[in-house]
Amino acid sequence: MHIPDGFISPQTYLPAYAVAAGLWAFAARRVRRDLDADTLPFLAAYTALSFVLMMVALPLPGGTTVHAAGIGLLAVSFGGWMGFLAISLVLAMQALLFGDGGITALPINALAMGLVGSFAALAAWKGLGRFNQSVALFLAGWLSIVLPALLVALALGIQPLIAHDAQGAPLFFPFSMNITLPAVVLPHLLVGLAEGVLTVLGYRYLTRLREKLAA
Amino acid sequence: MTEMRYRIVGADAPPMLQLVDVQHRYGGKVEVLRDVSLTLHAGEKSVLLGCNGSGKSTLLKILNGLIAPTAGRVIYQNEEITPARLKAPALHRRFRGEVALLFQNPDAMLFNPTVFDEIAFGPRQLGVPDIEARVHHWAEQVGVGAHLTRPPFALSGGEKQKVCLAALLVLEPKVLLLDEPTASLDPRSTGWLIDFLASLPVTTLTTTHNLSLAPELGNRALVLGEDHHLIYDGPIQALLGDMEKLTAANLVHTHRHRHGNIEHQHTHVHDWQ
Amino acid sequence: MNRDRAALFAYLAAVLAASWLHDPVWLAAGLAVTLLAAGGAASSLLRRSVLTVLAFNSVISLSYAALAWMQHIMPWETLLRINLRVVLLTSLTFLFIARVNLFRALDFSQNLTYALGLAYSQALTFRRAHEDFRLALASRSLKRPRLIDRYRASAAAAAWFIEKALHAATQSAQALRSRGFFHD
Repeated sequence: MHIPDGFISPQTYLPAYAVAAGLWAFAARRVRRDLDADTLPFLAAYTALSFVLMMVALPLPGGTTVHAAGIGLLAVSFGGWMGFLAISLVLAMQALLFGDGGITALPINALAMGLVGSFAALAAWKGLGRFNQSVALFLAGWLSIVLPALLVALALGIQPLIAHDAQGAPLFFPFSMNITLPAVVLPHLLVGLAEGVLTVLGYRYLTRLREKLAA
Repeated sequence: MTEMRYRIVGADAPPMLQLVDVQHRYGGKVEVLRDVSLTLHAGEKSVLLGCNGSGKSTLLKILNGLIAPTAGRVIYQNEEITPARLKAPALHRRFRGEVALLFQNPDAMLFNPTVFDEIAFGPRQLGVPDIEARVHHWAEQVGVGAHLTRPPFALSGGEKQKVCLAALLVLEPKVLLLDEPTASLDPRSTGWLIDFLASLPVTTLTTTHNLSLAPELGNRALVLGEDHHLIYDGPIQALLGDMEKLTAANLVHTHRHRHGNIEHQHTHVHDWQ
Repeated sequence: MNRDRAALFAYLAAVLAASWLHDPVWLAAGLAVTLLAAGGAASSLLRRSVLTVLAFNSVISLSYAALAWMQHIMPWETLLRINLRVVLLTSLTFLFIARVNLFRALDFSQNLTYALGLAYSQALTFRRAHEDFRLALASRSLKRPRLIDRYRASAAAAAWFIEKALHAATQSAQALRSRGFFHD
């Protein structure tokens, strides 16, 4: 969901920044409480991890390839608040260090992918994990893609409504929800399936790896 | 099972893999290789030397057709290798089966559920018969026969590398490119690898920055200098006597030496890794 | 207030300003000022910005033009406005990255600088490793790998990165402790 800067209005991103900033402060306190002195190295490591997981390619039947996000895997393995912080840092890195842009879309992506994505995945895992691990993981992965896509589609879709000129012409993203919802959410329903598979396989792999390290 | 025959090495040996006037800039800006031309002949065992960061890995990846050089050509047995030409299934299958690359990080190559599946991956793609026999043969050859049902990541570093080797050799390649294969091996495994590679009648090009191991890995040396040129291409024994070249390539160092009460300084290498 | 932090504020102010300019003339002027500030690198900056946003913006622009045609409205001012704004913001960001040391700009918080710096250097290492995973599969495949093989390769890579990240985190925590970073 790499939207270049210029498609989100300040009426959207400024309040989003305010909300995100408050939640970042809260998350930092929560994470430090759980990890204390080790917080920073682990946060940095998970940020780098999140960054690279977003590069991992997932081929879809039919020939296209989408990119993974690893949000579900990260949240299930290390917790929701850590996931939120790590993904927010990744977005900041991409915007201000790697030149992928997105400083104005950052708070929206951070809240959608980092917050909602992580906690939805966690909820699926905790809720269904007792019954069937693979289903829980698959759903965690799927939700971590689809719900953020929904939120981003909403955020984009309201732009023409809240930011237009006197004649009604859009100032930022030009399409409203009746277009953005299907255009963004539908493809991500499919991407979510790929992410779900990756979450299941990745978690399985990770568990065996940890067993091997502990042995 | 086809038997790999020794080929005659020397001026009569047919050229297998060549680079012609290769230049490479990483990302279009950072120079990695400059005016590199080399020819690997059938059955030859060569060593690619150079300090860290001199571009050895990149050179191997270019030889393996994984990276297209910014300029210059890659030729395999008179066939030009480019990304476009590799799209042809027949050439792709032949080249990938006959020219194998052992990556420096064995983890990067392993992804199958069991060691058996890992070694069987290539043959299964080829659709050859008697896969089981082949896999068992090569697993025994490298010494991982006891681990066939285990997942690759459960193995030690040295064992993983053996699995990678078996997975490459099961396809009976003609050229084997090895990127710093001894870098993370313990001395016993290093000894095993040296003997094993010497026993294979395959053209090999091995990179290393360990000068004392180099003569064990081949009798021809190619040296990549810090300026990204090939500053030497010839018999390895002659190179080892040429202190000037070795210093220029940052392969030897100078520091104060202490022997008992005497302290002096001269250019040298250490005989350990 | 060091030079880099001042530059960071200037950049953020410029982004805000560009978000409130809606007249294509003003947006074009802003872009011109940005390119002027880039000096000799102006043409490559512009080229990079345009190439970065080209794919996404083309899709949006063409779709909008089609929509506008169907609704019998003129899309030109809107298209000009949106595209100019996107290129302006992207150029501002590229200029910022090229000129400003983010770590110095953020040095009011040791924690933030540390977390970002370590994450960045690890991210670079991971990016190189990721390339190796991709190339290794290509190198070993005699024909196009099956879907399940590509998933297995991706999962193996993902798990490898997780393990390395865990290991790196433990190591840096120990290193920091030994250097007295933590006052515990």
